[in-house]
Amino acid sequence: MPRTPNPSSDASRLAVETRDLGRVYKTRNETVTALSSVDLKVREGELFGVLGPNGAGKTTLIKILVTLLLPSSGTAKVDGLDVVREFRQLRSRIAIVSGGENAGYGLLRVREQLWMFSQFYGIKSKVAYARIDELLERLGLASVANRQISGLSSGMRQKMNLVRGLMTDPRVLFLDEPTVALDVGAARDLREEVSRWMAEDPTRTVILTTHYMQEADDLCDRIAIVNRGRIVIEGTPQSLKLEVQRDVVVDLQLEPGVPVLDRLREVAGVGAASVREEDGLDRFSLLLADDAVLTNVISAVERSGRRVAGLAKREPTLEDAFVKLVGRSMTEEETQ
Amino acid sequence: MKSSPSEFEIFWRTVLARAYPRVVGLSRNLSWLFFDFAFPLVGTFAMVFVYQGLHAPRQYLGFVVMGGGMLAFWQNVLWTMGTQFSWDRGNGTLELMAVSPTSFEAVLLGMAGGAMIMTTLRAVAIIVLGSLLFKVTYNLGGLPPAIGVFLLTLAALYGLGMLLASLFLYYSREAWHLGDAIQEPVNFLSGLYFPVHALGAYVGGAASLIPVTLGLDAMRQFLLPGTPRFLDPALETVIVALEIPLFAILAVSSLRFMEVRARREGKLISKWS
Amino acid sequence: MVLALARTWSGYRTAVRLGWLVSSNWTSPVPFVIYTIIRPISGALILVVMYNVITGGRGNTRNYLAFLVIGVSFWAFVTEGVSDFAVGILEDRGRFKMLKYAYLAPLRFPVFLVGRASSKLTSAVASVAIVLVVATVGLRLPINPLSVDYPLLAIACLLAFISVMAFSIALSVVLLAGRDAYGYGEIMAQVLYIVSGAIFPISVLPGPLAFFASLSPLVYWLELTRRSILHGRVYEMFPGLSDGEVLTRLALATAGTVLLGYLVYRWADRQARWKGYIDMDAAQ
Repeated sequence: MPRTPNPSSDASRLAVETRDLGRVYKTRNETVTALSSVDLKVREGELFGVLGPNGAGKTTLIKILVTLLLPSSGTAKVDGLDVVREFRQLRSRIAIVSGGENAGYGLLRVREQLWMFSQFYGIKSKVAYARIDELLERLGLASVANRQISGLSSGMRQKMNLVRGLMTDPRVLFLDEPTVALDVGAARDLREEVSRWMAEDPTRTVILTTHYMQEADDLCDRIAIVNRGRIVIEGTPQSLKLEVQRDVVVDLQLEPGVPVLDRLREVAGVGAASVREEDGLDRFSLLLADDAVLTNVISAVERSGRRVAGLAKREPTLEDAFVKLVGRSMTEEETQ
Repeated sequence: MKSSPSEFEIFWRTVLARAYPRVVGLSRNLSWLFFDFAFPLVGTFAMVFVYQGLHAPRQYLGFVVMGGGMLAFWQNVLWTMGTQFSWDRGNGTLELMAVSPTSFEAVLLGMAGGAMIMTTLRAVAIIVLGSLLFKVTYNLGGLPPAIGVFLLTLAALYGLGMLLASLFLYYSREAWHLGDAIQEPVNFLSGLYFPVHALGAYVGGAASLIPVTLGLDAMRQFLLPGTPRFLDPALETVIVALEIPLFAILAVSSLRFMEVRARREGKLISKWS
Repeated sequence: MVLALARTWSGYRTAVRLGWLVSSNWTSPVPFVIYTIIRPISGALILVVMYNVITGGRGNTRNYLAFLVIGVSFWAFVTEGVSDFAVGILEDRGRFKMLKYAYLAPLRFPVFLVGRASSKLTSAVASVAIVLVVATVGLRLPINPLSVDYPLLAIACLLAFISVMAFSIALSVVLLAGRDAYGYGEIMAQVLYIVSGAIFPISVLPGPLAFFASLSPLVYWLELTRRSILHGRVYEMFPGLSDGEVLTRLALATAGTVLLGYLVYRWADRQARWKGYIDMDAAQ
């Protein structure tokens, strides 16, 4: 279920605002444009998702917003403070949690490590411990509070990282692929805690980057799709799905054989196509202009010698919108 | 944040918090104990044997033993302060420190302060064991001024360490090698194993920029009568005292400069370079 | 058989190349050369000043200066081969997280380790040459490249390399069987420094240490390098022994080191696997 935006937050106040934001990386051999002309407005109290394939510029955007990286052009403000000029004041108002994070010292215990980070924010030890204990309890980590970090599973470790992000009570929390490589249960716990944390205070804002469409669909009030350093589209998950509302969405399953994705894309009336391999079958998601196009699709499949293992129409998802807008699926982009 | 702690509160809390892993590490990782004691002990003893091979007067063994004690602090500054940034960058801790409202100066002081307990123990162990084993005798009357010079030297040395650490903020593997490369030259120029007088006026004068050089020479003059005089120990003490604000200002400026540079070039977010 | 040998050779070359790249690709060539020069020269200068402070550089003590300089210059092989190599292997595990792939590769792990050690030993050649050249020019040591006994030097170095490799490979696997082992490689190199006769004759050592030192191949290797470079004009630790007798002792000590190294390797390898430390994360 999509999150209900906090009604009591001041929607006119912007938690994040970027104007013409750009970032270029220069190395000895090449110049890479990671971000280009990004204009973004995130309202206070929003859970805002940034979706995009690897290398799209999501992490660069986040690193600029959390003051770790200077932009090459444009401006960015977080909680009303300029990330370049007012970064020192800003740092006490933000926190970042990244997926697969390994920060800290393995010989410290969970509670000690969290306390250490809390001190970098000047929180009184008593207050810090109270918050830490409460959050550990909420995330089901109370039993490992005194275990050394080195003995934690990756799921536990990421939950601990989330506690670190939440314990300083940031105005804006940045979550950079927070559930990457986590099992279903741990990812769900993390998502639930983020939702709960936001519900506690309507002025809290979260910027989430993710690979997982379902995660974005479930959690985010609004989403920006980033591709090749630019924002392709921005809106609520529902409004993005409207982009494919008039299309017919078909799941086509084929038995293994010669590649046909490009052929299917060439069929007149096919708006977008993507494929993933699952259970030994190639599962194609096709966006068709109307039902009649399906006949041509099946003909194209038969001409290629592939055998149809299944066919079903379904409701459009955010992923379909992504494929239509970006031109290919997230996984395809990664391999390029 | 509902309450906003002052910069000073963030500073001292950071110092204590960053020192904490070092302190608890002593009890949780006994291998550190062995490493911290064995390394400078063995190195110091090797140099004592060199003098014994040369049939040097016993006083020279005292030079080495005192140098070994100071070596412990120099190594602490170089490796636990300077290169620690490189490790912290590798596992993403540096990134989290950078994004917090604390300052790198506080983090560095904490790192060095936490290691100070161990370093002091190890310096004492070298001096006590070395003095007993090699029968070094000291002028105990010179102890109070020697302790004063030692504290001044330490303050200046930690300023230098912070300056070096600022390089580690920007550089990674290069800085690691830089640390490796300057270790021996500093051991040489600061006269850890011989009186700095032996380097002559020009080389010794240039080496005086390293706080250990004059600090150690003054301490030797106070504690080991007959130490060849490079400069008057009072003058050496004044110069070391002047180096404290010099390195402190340079370190803070350099840390600020390097942080901006690192942010501009994406060095704070690169795990390895 | 031929295929297996070819595969081993190819794997060995890859490990050598990897070692070289890891050691050198952190910077551009100019800082690398400066770094390569500064380290060994500073180490040698410390000893030269210590020598001068005590002897005043008197002519009748020049043989001892040659003893010190040749010892410290060739010591680079042990520093690189033991200390830097051990750190390199631990970095492969904890920092670069690639050791497990080398361990699991079809190439036998010891071949990988020998390759990495070889690259370290090779890179020490520059350091040795630099110190010897500086000593010849700057300290006027009578080193004449045309009168060096190269066959003796080559045999001594070959045997020493075998010992150093056996020692360092065993040591690195022992360190892999430990959690936080950074620094031990350096300590071991320092311990060897004391018992190798590199910078003082082992007769200076207290009795038990001197006996222990007499079992080390490094003592005989350094004695032979000094003799092969400056026969008769360098202080000798074993004036009563002929070159052949020193060489025999070196060969025996090398054989003992290789045997001991093999046994330790087998034991430590099992320990590391038992504890699951081969792929241990640095942050753990």
